Amino acid sequence: MGVTILQPFPNLENKTGPSIIDFLSKRVIALGAQQVGHFLVDCETYTSVPQMSVQPKVVHVLHNSEHPASVFSILETGTKQIALVADLLFDLLILKMTPAYTSKKQTKIESKGPRFELGDFVIKLGIVSMSQTFKGVMVEVEYRPCLIPSMCWDLIREFMQGFMGSHVTNIIPPYFTTPSMMAPNQNKQNDIYQPIDTVQQYLEHFSNYRKLSNPPIMGMRN
Amino acid sequence: MEQLNSALISIKVLRSRVGQVFETLGSGIRLEHGEEGRETKFLMELQELLNAVNNNLRELESTTNGLTPAPFNLGNTSYLSQETTQERQALYSQLVNSYKWIDKIHEYSQLATQVLSGNGLKRSYFNNSNKRRRPLTSCHNVMPHAVDSILNNIDRSLSEMTIKVWRPFATNAIVHVILGRVLKAAFVFKGIMIEWITVKGFDENFDEIDDLWTESRHKVFRNVQNHTHSAMLHFYSPTLPDLAVRSFMVS
Amino acid sequence: MATGNITSAIDSLSAAIHCNIIPQHEYLLQGSILDSQVEHLLHRLKGLCDNVDAGPEPFHDHEVCFSLRAPNQATPTLLLRVRKANDVDAPYQLRYIGQQEVGDRTRPTLVRNSLDIACTSTVVEYLQELGCRIDFEYTNRGYMFRKGRMKITVSKIFKMGGIPTKPGETYTEAISQSYLVELSVLAPTGQDGIGKDMMMFAEQLKPLVQLEKIDYKRLGNIP
Repeated sequence: MGVTILQPFPNLENKTGPSIIDFLSKRVIALGAQQVGHFLVDCETYTSVPQMSVQPKVVHVLHNSEHPASVFSILETGTKQIALVADLLFDLLILKMTPAYTSKKQTKIESKGPRFELGDFVIKLGIVSMSQTFKGVMVEVEYRPCLIPSMCWDLIREFMQGFMGSHVTNIIPPYFTTPSMMAPNQNKQNDIYQPIDTVQQYLEHFSNYRKLSNPPIMGMRN
Repeated sequence: MEQLNSALISIKVLRSRVGQVFETLGSGIRLEHGEEGRETKFLMELQELLNAVNNNLRELESTTNGLTPAPFNLGNTSYLSQETTQERQALYSQLVNSYKWIDKIHEYSQLATQVLSGNGLKRSYFNNSNKRRRPLTSCHNVMPHAVDSILNNIDRSLSEMTIKVWRPFATNAIVHVILGRVLKAAFVFKGIMIEWITVKGFDENFDEIDDLWTESRHKVFRNVQNHTHSAMLHFYSPTLPDLAVRSFMVS
Repeated sequence: MATGNITSAIDSLSAAIHCNIIPQHEYLLQGSILDSQVEHLLHRLKGLCDNVDAGPEPFHDHEVCFSLRAPNQATPTLLLRVRKANDVDAPYQLRYIGQQEVGDRTRPTLVRNSLDIACTSTVVEYLQELGCRIDFEYTNRGYMFRKGRMKITVSKIFKMGGIPTKPGETYTEAISQSYLVELSVLAPTGQDGIGKDMMMFAEQLKPLVQLEKIDYKRLGNIP
């Protein structure tokens, strides 16, 4: 497990998801990477029933195929975020909470695609889709030997720019400049990287994609 | 060789003949002997067989006498073949195997000396001691507390590094070094000389204190390990500057 | 190239439910023994159980019970327990315990739904923010034995004496003069045969301790 950076790949020319993935895969393979299986990150969101509390609370439940035995759950109360990592059976428990928390099925969002390995790097090219609707492409790059984001950001940035061009910014993603959950007096970029950090980055991007969703597209699907 | 072969054949013949005698004896008087005088007939048959055995035995003796004495002397090993206990009977083949390996080692070591004499590695004083006439203290035989004090000095001078010393095998130290939050390394010392270095990532563990042969999962650290090994050979000198140089190189 | 068709976690979970491999039923027998007699019981268990090579296995847990209530309802919809080992470094255990099943009366043990989930230490804060209320908490100290798939715990329950000022510094007092003895098995659905095994084992502990199926409903409505 190492530092993972998540980067959305902009869809400028209005291409389809698979064609962007194809385009990126070719570049990654040209660098010498080998495809090793596929990956899937999915996220389901539950909200509290209105009677429960004044401010609605939101529970996100995420799975990451890189950590197949774990469930990641993030609770948003409006003022703070609490993350929980648990066994797979947690999914069954969530189902038992239905009187208080309900899920909106059409908000289920996932990122899915091929997984490549190149030396110590892992590259994942994912198509983001919300209930079968294509939303965009996200690229995940993991550098496994390093645990401190600030130490290897430059390396990862250079590597990402190598196949994604100028879409990658020169500054570290804002997620890493927020205070760390474990040690509040230092930034996440100087803290030891945890699997939950990957999941939180995914959640951040998923939420952005959800906000972008305009209702007509959803209506068309139904 | 032919003589040996014929001797072996005659042993076989003798054995089968003796077997026949016992078979006949075992089955006793049979139908073929008829009604009259069957005891005498049986005795006759037995007599015949015994005569044949005698002949075979004589034959065997003559062929064995013709054999030249053993061409090589096995020394004490020859007694191994007389071992009767079950579990020790396999010893002989093991012995032969070990001879084979010794031969191979001989061969390789000869090749190695040829190569090494071409490229001198100054790991000991035996070759170049004529240059430094002063009787130097050996690197291999240093008191443990002297090693400790040297390591402590290094530990104090490098703040980024934590050092832990283990002594699982009597006096020789194994040192675990944690460098910042980047990597871990294990050094094997022989006296004050570094003998082996293993480098791993910060998230990997040394499962045992002397877990020295598993390599890192990450290519970067496997490369670093190669570099440390060449650095170890390059910087070899009695006063151990290489720890400092190594950490300098890595960070 | 791997031709892996990756399945989502939900799919594989439902497949697991289908195959009946998720241990979600707890079979339970309970009893108690006086402090003065507990040594005898430990001796007996040492002779009967599997994991006694290095003496009985001690444990010291802190357990907090939560309930999640649906709005405007008196009965809690969900009972949850969080268990944390005080003596060893282990993940927190989140435990869901359901209502006991109203099977036929001849069933030898209590059967109830149960889910054991290992999780990170954020779980307490997580549950509180989720809207769960702390009902009560206690510490539990004793010994754990294992016999086949049966788990036997002999433990003493202590009250939490106020809020501890520092972690690890807990003032506790014993809740009674006896030890709680529990015999439990976690098993997937449809393995009722285990109940008989448990009865047989309970027989071997008589007359030191009488392990019984306790009807919680008769004990009154304890949350």
